[in-house]
Amino acid sequence: MKQFLKDLFFELKKNRGAMIGIVIILISLIIAITAPVIAPHNPTLVNSESLRLPPSFSPGGSKDFFLGTDDLGRDLLSRLIYGSQVSLSVGFAVVVLSLITGTFLGVIAGFYGGFLDKSIMRLTDLIMSLPSILFAIVIVAVLGPGIVNAIVAVSIVAIPNFVRIIRAQVMVEKNRQYVSAAKLFGASNFRIMFIEILPNCMAPLIVQASLGFSDGILNVAALGFLGLGAQAPMSEWGTMLSDARSYIESSPWMVTLPGLCILVVVLSFNLLGDGLRDALDPRLKKQN
Amino acid sequence: MNNILEVNSVNKIFPIRKMFKKPLDLKALSDINFTLGSNETLGIVGESGCGKSTLAKVLTKLESPTSGDIELLKIKYPDYNPKDFHSHIQMVFQDPYQSLNPRKKAFDIIADPLRINTDKSEAEIKELVYAMMKRVGLREEFALRYPHHFSGGQRQRLGIARALMLRPKVLILDEPVSALDVSIQAQVLNLLLELQQEFSLSYLFISHDLSVVQHISDRILVMYLGRVVEYGSRDEIFNNPKHPYTQILLDSAPKIGLKSIATKNDVAPGEAPSALYLPKGCAFAPRCPKKTAHCEESIPPLEDKYNRMVACFNA
Repeated sequence: MKQFLKDLFFELKKNRGAMIGIVIILISLIIAITAPVIAPHNPTLVNSESLRLPPSFSPGGSKDFFLGTDDLGRDLLSRLIYGSQVSLSVGFAVVVLSLITGTFLGVIAGFYGGFLDKSIMRLTDLIMSLPSILFAIVIVAVLGPGIVNAIVAVSIVAIPNFVRIIRAQVMVEKNRQYVSAAKLFGASNFRIMFIEILPNCMAPLIVQASLGFSDGILNVAALGFLGLGAQAPMSEWGTMLSDARSYIESSPWMVTLPGLCILVVVLSFNLLGDGLRDALDPRLKKQN
Repeated sequence: MNNILEVNSVNKIFPIRKMFKKPLDLKALSDINFTLGSNETLGIVGESGCGKSTLAKVLTKLESPTSGDIELLKIKYPDYNPKDFHSHIQMVFQDPYQSLNPRKKAFDIIADPLRINTDKSEAEIKELVYAMMKRVGLREEFALRYPHHFSGGQRQRLGIARALMLRPKVLILDEPVSALDVSIQAQVLNLLLELQQEFSLSYLFISHDLSVVQHISDRILVMYLGRVVEYGSRDEIFNNPKHPYTQILLDSAPKIGLKSIATKNDVAPGEAPSALYLPKGCAFAPRCPKKTAHCEESIPPLEDKYNRMVACFNA
């Protein structure tokens, strides 16, 4: 495993996009962890005398609020810093939830085949046939709005990707002779599925996990924008966008900055995901 | 000689069912009978698609036979509990690149059969694994390496070590050397012969390489399209083959020292018919130089003739 990570990093270093992605992810991770230390203000503290102040470097800005304030006079920089905590943990939670359920279902479908496989695959078809954000809205509408329910909804929407990838890989691996050998010395089906086969399916799983991270952040932010995700006063980028929407002309920084944050973090995970795909799967590498 | 393995009229049919198509039956094995004595090597030869590998799968319970029964150490296959079964019969696979899990270390590959089937402590297992690695000619420091660090020969030694960990009585060798270089083949074959004496093993040696089979086997079983066509001692079959298929098979093998390779007359014309559409009579009749009208009408039974079993009307 150590060697595997070493090789992986060696391949990744050749890919500039992936390295940029990793650097941005690390920076946002550090910001999220040290938020209580580096944030200049309490993100939920309302200052009634400094509403919608522009950033300090533009005319009319205040030195106290580097990136300005929102409609309730809360410091935008602090809110963005705390927002990174929410977005990263949301992404992580979505990936963990969908990865575990998706992998479990995919391994079972691919290994057993037959009726079990058909029912699981039709279920994933059902989820995939609806636009993912629409389906997530339906789930949140049933469960009720809130950040936890939004995470659950977005995870459910992400499961089919994992199921399909793992199933395809397991169907290839289960016909290899090392699986017959394991059967011959009496390994249980559980052991064959999760100890013999699954470690050989890791490459596409890692790629999908890093891409799932950005999808998760984006979808939860979208639910937040629609008022179905994080609720006020929690500082979440999607919710901040929707709060700022009415001031898009008079105070454009309020809507621009959280949007930029989402863009940069999602982009960095996508860059990392593409880099990992190139590094792990030589067949997909570009020919040039 | 007491028989370790007895195979009685085993059939294996793979039904092929496709929507909107006529259901078909693929007869992979038809009426297979043979025995394997203790310490004996039975060579199984035949061209690809004749059912050799299906036979190996049926004998290791990876597939169950459609009919017929198999007795290992006088106990019928369905009566075995899995642990006993796996510690009596094991298999060495053809492709040493596919038969070892690329994500497992050599030590774990060899140790897992013990971990699953015995209650031995990790310390005992360690001792047994290192002893076995030494026995098959792998150095101790290889234990923590992954399969891709090994050469083909070393991998096959690993596969042999894994198969022997549970001390089986019968070892099925499914073309164990065909993926190896010729120089390595001899080493592995000699290792197999030494191990046979040391662990008193019975081998079922599946191969299409006739010289290897001749070197290692006591008796030979020749298969053609899922049927036994000739079955007897090695010397009888190699020196005096009676079934036309065996004759052609032996003649077509390249030999050192002969200028001409097989001429047209020595090679059976055409290809083997598909196992899906077997001829009514003898399966070899369409290619047989000695066929008569009778051959196309009925299937020749396996009869005791000329000190061996042979399935041919005209032998």
